Amino acid sequence: MMNQTAPQPAVTFTLNGETRTFATRPDEKLLDLLRRNGYRGTKFGCGQGTCGACTVIMDGRAIYACLLYSMQAEGRDIRTIEGAGTLDKPSEFQQELIDGGAVQCGYCIPGMVMSATALMEAESTYPDELVKEYMDGNLCRCTGYEKIWDALRRVLDRREAAAKKG
Amino acid sequence: MKLCEFLRPASLPAAYGQLRDLGPRGMILAGGTALHFMQDHTPVTAVDITRLGLSGIRAEDGGYVIGATTPLADIQRYRAPRWAMHEICRRIATHQIRNVSTIGGNIARVFPWADMPVALLAMDASMRIYAGPEAPEETPSADEYFAEQPARRFLGGKILTSVRVPALLAHEGYGSVKVVRTAAAFSMVTVAAVLKLDPASGAIRAARVAAGSAIPFPRRLPEVEDALLGKEPNEALFLEAASKADAPWRGKEGMTAEYSKHLAEVSIADALADAARHALERAE
Repeated sequence: MMNQTAPQPAVTFTLNGETRTFATRPDEKLLDLLRRNGYRGTKFGCGQGTCGACTVIMDGRAIYACLLYSMQAEGRDIRTIEGAGTLDKPSEFQQELIDGGAVQCGYCIPGMVMSATALMEAESTYPDELVKEYMDGNLCRCTGYEKIWDALRRVLDRREAAAKKG
Repeated sequence: MKLCEFLRPASLPAAYGQLRDLGPRGMILAGGTALHFMQDHTPVTAVDITRLGLSGIRAEDGGYVIGATTPLADIQRYRAPRWAMHEICRRIATHQIRNVSTIGGNIARVFPWADMPVALLAMDASMRIYAGPEAPEETPSADEYFAEQPARRFLGGKILTSVRVPALLAHEGYGSVKVVRTAAAFSMVTVAAVLKLDPASGAIRAARVAAGSAIPFPRRLPEVEDALLGKEPNEALFLEAASKADAPWRGKEGMTAEYSKHLAEVSIADALADAARHALERAE
C-alpha cells in the first residue's frame, strides 16, 4: 500500500439481499466496485449517466451506477441484474425478451430489466406514459425498441389483468 | 474534482463545521450527478448532506417548502392544489437521474443549461440557507439568489437547506417550455412564466418570465414582462412581447445566435400561452 497510515475506506450495503462490506476508494463509482467484485452483469456503457446500461436499483429506485460514488451506497439496499433472474430461471420479463427475439447485442438489456423491475415494484397500473417515464433512461442502439417494448407490455398487461381478477 | 475523502456528517452544524474547516478543499455532495461536469483533478473532500433530514416536501402557509436534498423524482410525483413544480421535474434528464439528482444540487451551482433556476425565477421562489450555528438563516429571493453564480455563496461552509415555492393564487397560471433534441438532452432553450390575470377585465395584472440555456446564465426578462402588463392575453400579444426580449442569445450545438433568438421568442410565446390558459382555469 502506498500510504500505510491512511485508513482504507470501506462501504457496507445490502447487495441482492445480503449485507456486504467492500473496500473502496472515495472516488470509486458503484459500477466499478460491483464489476471489480465479480458483478459484471451491470454494464459500463457511456459512463456519463446517459445510456442506462449500468442501471441498478437502490432503495427501490432505478439509478445509474456509473454516476453514484460507492460511498454514497452506505447502508442502502442495492440490487443488480444478478438478483433478477438466472440462466436456468429467468424472470418473467427476461423470458419475454427471449421469446420475443427482443435481444440483439444484449448490452442494454440488464439495465432495461432493472428499470422495468423498479417500475413493476413501484406501480400497480402501467399506462404507456408511465412506462415511458420509467424507461426513458435506457437506450438501445440495435433494436429500435419495438420488441423490447412489446415484451415489457406483455408482462405488464398480464400483471394488470391478474390484479383485476384479484 | 477528485474525491480524496468522503465525510458523512450527522448534523447540519457538523456539516457546516467540516465545510468551513475544509475551505476550498471541501465540497458539498448530495446526489452527486453534476460532479460529472467538473472533470478536473482538483482533490476535494466530499461532505455528504443527504442524511441530515433535508429531504421532503411540505405545505407551509401559502407555499411549499422543498428540502434541498429532495430528489427531482419526488418533486415530479408530488401533487397539491396550487403546485406546478412537478411539470419541469418530469422533463429534466432521465428517470435514473431524477431518482438521485436533488433540487439543491440543481441550483447550488448553476450550469447554463439548467431548467430549475428558470422555473424558480418565474415562480418567485426563495431559498433558505444555513449560515452556521451563530448566524441567522439567510432567505434570498430567487432574483437575489440567481443574480450571480450561487456557488460563490457556499464557499465559506453555508448550506442550502430548502427552497420555498409560493402556491399559485387564483387567476395565476404557470407555463414552461423546454426545447430539446432528445428527451433526456440538455435544453437548447428553457423558458418559464407565471401570469396573473385580472378576474374582472381578464387583462394581465402581473407577469414573471425567465429564460435560460440559450444565454450564458438564467435570467428574468423584464422587457417581456413590461410589454404584457395591462394587456389582453392573446397569441399576438405574446409574440409581440417575446420579441422585446433583450438577452444575449448565443449559438451553440449547431444553432446560430439568430436561430437561438428565434427559438427563444417562439418558446416564450408558447410558455405565456400555457400560463394564460392555466390562469383562466384557476378561478379560485
